[in-house]
Amino acid sequence: MNALTQLQKNKEEKLFFLLFIISIPLSHVGIIGIENPAIMPNYFIALIVSFILTKKAALSLNKVLFIGLVVDILIGKLIGQYGLIFIIIYILDLLINKVIFIKYEKQIESLSLFLIFSSFIVLWVTSQNFNIFIPLKVLILQAILTFIAYLFFKVAITKYISK
Amino acid sequence: MVQEASKSNLRLFNRDRFPLVSFFVFFILCSILMGADSRYQISQKIKARIPIISSPINNLINLPAGLFLELKNNFINKKLLIERINNLETINYNLSIQVQENQLLNSENNILRKTLKMRKNFQIRGEIAEIVLPEVKNGYLIITINKGFKHNIKNGSAVINNAGLVGQIINTSESYSEIRPITSEAYAVPAIIDNGKENVILYGNGNGELEIPLFPAGSPIKINDTFITSGVDDLYPKGIRVGIVSEIKPTKSPKFNYILVEPFSQPTSFSNITVLKIKE
Repeated sequence: MNALTQLQKNKEEKLFFLLFIISIPLSHVGIIGIENPAIMPNYFIALIVSFILTKKAALSLNKVLFIGLVVDILIGKLIGQYGLIFIIIYILDLLINKVIFIKYEKQIESLSLFLIFSSFIVLWVTSQNFNIFIPLKVLILQAILTFIAYLFFKVAITKYISK
Repeated sequence: MVQEASKSNLRLFNRDRFPLVSFFVFFILCSILMGADSRYQISQKIKARIPIISSPINNLINLPAGLFLELKNNFINKKLLIERINNLETINYNLSIQVQENQLLNSENNILRKTLKMRKNFQIRGEIAEIVLPEVKNGYLIITINKGFKHNIKNGSAVINNAGLVGQIINTSESYSEIRPITSEAYAVPAIIDNGKENVILYGNGNGELEIPLFPAGSPIKINDTFITSGVDDLYPKGIRVGIVSEIKPTKSPKFNYILVEPFSQPTSFSNITVLKIKE
């Protein structure tokens, strides 16, 4: 039983690593057909939200902080910005799960929308504080696209893990 | 007998331990890191010193475009090449005539400057580079060029192209650099109307244009007036074309107008730019 659990955990971690690696080049490419290349999903937020909500890869507060710092160094503008966003996503999910019994699919989707928009609010506030300018309209469109990316990641996780 | 549950052990639907202390510690740590990075540019220094962070990604993203160009070059036929050579020879001939004229004007200008004891501050010397991909990094628009600090590109250098001022280098790594375009919100450039009368500061508005929020209503300015760099900051040489006045709007105060300026340079991928040398 333990060996099976360990095998499952390794599989989840492998998938997380794979999706993380894929997200790096994707974050450098705009969406074909959209004139403004800045209108694109935030793949890393989508990845973290999908893994936290599906409770895969055994993500902990320490792990999400570390992943956030790696994202900051790879593609971020400020060290600590994505670290902060990811720990807030993690803690919000934990807090909501403490007070609301999340059971149905609709609840999970609503929670994912809430977490994505919260993370974009944190991104916007921290960017404004440190004079990193990004138009609010673009940020809202990015949040919507991030939700779509989250749905893709979720499908990938479900398909791969159930194999 | 029923025992009352201790409030400290009360766990609602989720039975995981709530890491409140760790969260606050990490929250403070991240805030400190952001503040330190903003002040000391730590992430820029890390990226510049460790090229493995950004170079492989940039190489990977530029690979398809590079392969396409290589493939396209392989299919060029002789007729097309001869046509291109002829065109280049004509351009070369016209430019050589223009160079003669410029040399004459330059020597005349030198004599006049010497007579009037004027300081010469219009010198365009720099490194030619090409704009490459990526043009976006995690939702932020960037302009990337294919030269870095190994080609003597330095942070803060001004960047121009044949149309005018493009921006300023903000981040350099070994083989790549990033440019902040003149239209980005954090950008300001001292400029002057080409008739030499009004010294202003143009600000990027983040929407592909420049603006002067408060321009004295009494000062003469009209649509299609051209702004050039004034050179007062010693960063941009005097006389580089910046933009053209596209809109003049009154503000709440009758003493000022709002001026919108359309930039001349619209840098596109795989076009050439020149990174100017910083004056020592």
